[in-house]
Amino acid sequence: MFASIRSAVVVGVDGSQVSVEVHVGAGLPGMTIVGLPDASCREARDRVRAAFIASKLTWPPQKVTVNLAPSSSRKVGTGLDLPIAVGILVASGVVDASQVNRMGFVGELGLDGSVRAVPAIVPLVDAIRVAGGDEVVVPVACAGDAELLEEVKVRAISTLSELVAALSNEEPWPDHDYRRVEAAPLDTADLADLRGQPIMRRALEISAAGGHHLLMIGVPGAGKTMLAERLPGVLPDLSSSEAMEVSRIHSAAGRVLTGGLVRRPPFQAPHHSATLVSVIGGGSDAMRPGLVSLAHGGVLFLDELSEFSPSVLDALRQPIEEGAVRVSRARFSAMLPARFLLVAAMNPCPCGEGGRPGACSCSDAALLRYRRRLSGPLLDRFDLRVAVERPDAQELLTGAPGEPSAVVAERVARVRAKSLERGGVLNSRMSRVALDEYAPLSNDAQRLLGRAMEMGRLTARGLDRIRRVALTMADLEGVDPPLEPMQVAAALSLRADISLHPGVAA
Amino acid sequence: MSEEVVSQPLEHTAALVALACLPGVGPGSLRRWVQAQNATEAWELASSGRASKDEVLALSLQRNLTTNHKITEAARHIDPLALLERHRTLGIGVHILGTAGYPQRLAHDPSPPAVLFSNGDISALDAPMVAIVGTRNATRLGCDTAARLAGELSMAGVSVASGLALGIDGAAHSALVWANANGQPPAAPPSAPHDGQLGNGVDEGSDGGPGGGLASGIGRPVAVVAAGLDCRYPRAHRRLHDQIVERGVVLSEVPLGMGPSKWRFPARNRILAGLADALVVVESRSSGGSMLTVAEALRRDRPILAVPGHPTSPSSAGTLDLICDGATPLRDVEDVLVAIGMGGSSSRPLHERSSSDGEDLLGESQDEVASELLGVLAAGALTLSEVLSRVDSDRGLVAQALLELELSGKIVATGSWYELSTGAARASSRGARR
Repeated sequence: MFASIRSAVVVGVDGSQVSVEVHVGAGLPGMTIVGLPDASCREARDRVRAAFIASKLTWPPQKVTVNLAPSSSRKVGTGLDLPIAVGILVASGVVDASQVNRMGFVGELGLDGSVRAVPAIVPLVDAIRVAGGDEVVVPVACAGDAELLEEVKVRAISTLSELVAALSNEEPWPDHDYRRVEAAPLDTADLADLRGQPIMRRALEISAAGGHHLLMIGVPGAGKTMLAERLPGVLPDLSSSEAMEVSRIHSAAGRVLTGGLVRRPPFQAPHHSATLVSVIGGGSDAMRPGLVSLAHGGVLFLDELSEFSPSVLDALRQPIEEGAVRVSRARFSAMLPARFLLVAAMNPCPCGEGGRPGACSCSDAALLRYRRRLSGPLLDRFDLRVAVERPDAQELLTGAPGEPSAVVAERVARVRAKSLERGGVLNSRMSRVALDEYAPLSNDAQRLLGRAMEMGRLTARGLDRIRRVALTMADLEGVDPPLEPMQVAAALSLRADISLHPGVAA
Repeated sequence: MSEEVVSQPLEHTAALVALACLPGVGPGSLRRWVQAQNATEAWELASSGRASKDEVLALSLQRNLTTNHKITEAARHIDPLALLERHRTLGIGVHILGTAGYPQRLAHDPSPPAVLFSNGDISALDAPMVAIVGTRNATRLGCDTAARLAGELSMAGVSVASGLALGIDGAAHSALVWANANGQPPAAPPSAPHDGQLGNGVDEGSDGGPGGGLASGIGRPVAVVAAGLDCRYPRAHRRLHDQIVERGVVLSEVPLGMGPSKWRFPARNRILAGLADALVVVESRSSGGSMLTVAEALRRDRPILAVPGHPTSPSSAGTLDLICDGATPLRDVEDVLVAIGMGGSSSRPLHERSSSDGEDLLGESQDEVASELLGVLAAGALTLSEVLSRVDSDRGLVAQALLELELSGKIVATGSWYELSTGAARASSRGARR
């Protein structure tokens, strides 16, 4: 007469456990679903009934009440179809309750009784595991992803009748072949393709080694995009805990993890027409993670930075600072992890030629409009701001290929390991206290920076950033602190003064 | 603003000012109304709402196709006497062509502004005057050159006119304001006995006497703008605008309340060319506003001087073209003074002249890398990677030397371009830029 089935729904990047309570009892035949289901969830009523009939199961000629507990939070999605069906089977006595009390169910039903894939399987299965389930029944298409959580036994089914047969011990559990193809070899672009451009290569290496956000400003055709695409290639593999976290996020966003756990740093390059919600997250009632979360652990590349809407750019400030975004809606809020390496590229001005003093042909109004789109606080968060020039034609034609990614990656990995061992964080996230301890300045360097601050070349916030970059440079060179004027000056030379307006207003 | 309009009835002046606010009305129409003395009539026609645009403009013998709806609509919102009164209360001088108080320099211009508005001391126009113009997207070197030139000219008693735009114009004006604020006080007393005689003499541009008498004063800033005097365009130069009003004069042929429109800028340039005894182009691309000013100056037989730049610098392409076409290459302020007939006798040989900054810079720096860098940068602005590819030294050493040079003011970094810095604007440049 009554059954309670374990399942889960997803909010943000986390699953949240849901008990599907089903009561089958006296009353007019019919079915109600309570407990704040959204539209797709309420439609389960019709899908489940049709699936029952198609699977030649008896639909109880009684009043069926389904409650999704906890009833106060909104349930989103179609993954509750399967647990509702199982609940009805148990409550109407087709399946024995003892069969399912250690189990969890996730899946969408088709009208023909088939079981279909649902998004976000990793966080869903994880929530079931946390709620005490040690066996989980999922659609075949999701079984591969579900198995990434090693502590749970995964049962893959393709139809409702298969499930009923297995649960009533008439047939063994079906043995579907859902083996994943093993992770294909990565064919990321190699840095060797990039000829010349020593400053850009250097900036890229520092950015990767210290986790410093990088802004490239340069004329069209200088290779900004080419360089950014090669950045993930020099980053080390994700650690196992990072890989799990990133995989959860990707799964929560509805991606199918065909290659198993995400082990390589992700690379996200949204088009500049991206909306605030798509970038930050929080779309739909499930609080879908945005691109910043999908870039968690990897690289977020914003090409044509100044074409992005200012609200999107300013919303990036929180994730840049805190490594996460808190998205709040009327009913609930979710914390979405978003620690990424921000790489951005932009032209110096609308005409694109404004880098070289005196070369720009933009009108004042156009320049002003262009400049207004980028807020000072955002620009300030780029530790590295480098001008990019078109490569020398000679170098392109006859120059030797650059250093391959593998060589750079080795140095990057060494510096990353060193800084993690030293302070537990990458250099770019080192606190001021840690900076004083691990990256003291030599007297000469102190004097130089002091003068730079007096001259207005450097701000107080910029000072710490310069020190972090200089430390990464010293690490790359294998030199121990104290930081010398050379390193400090080099760090400063890679943090260009962003006056996007070369025509000086005296 | 000092002299009253005497020969014109008040209504006539007010009508002209009001007519200047109407769409489709330019200097040409205004001039013809002034000459025909029928501005009041034209205004009545325009504001009556009955007449067509063509009928209004027929009074100026000009036919133009703006709908009469627009012109009567615009006229409906204008009260000529109140508008004129507003000019008076704000201390804006209203000068009508052909009346007393109209600047002599423009009186015989081929296309003089019929109505000229002035804010500040109009007597600043009486000194010899040089116009300094150039691109808005100037290099640091260009701005510095403009500033130094303007400062030196003002010390020689030459007023400097410019368009108050960003870049070269602004640099020249700022230097002039600075010279006037810090030069030997009092800077050109407003009531000094410059009765226009000297000004006229130079204005004719024919005899160009020694003109040494005026050198006791300091040249004043003169700005000619393309918008109403209350608009203060561009915004970045609002303060500069006020400073020029304080120490010199800002001119416009546009009534109060009118913003800048595109066609006003070339029109403004003709006034600039008409005012000046000589035109100096510091930096310009091959086509641009400065070139229009040059064309206007040529129409008026004014000497043109161009500052030669490096051939690779895009902002010097126009000035190099000018030199090829016969403009006088400008080496230092002496060349300008010679051109306006003030320095002919004292022209010194080149090697005695003062412009030796480059050598000074090289001499001062004891550091080898630094002097190499200065040598490399002498050819024009370079990015960091370009600098590195041209200097054979360790990356860190180069970065350090660049920073040292920047901090000591010998080079300027603008958005990761490095340029040599020179001249008067150097000391205050960074502070002023922020």
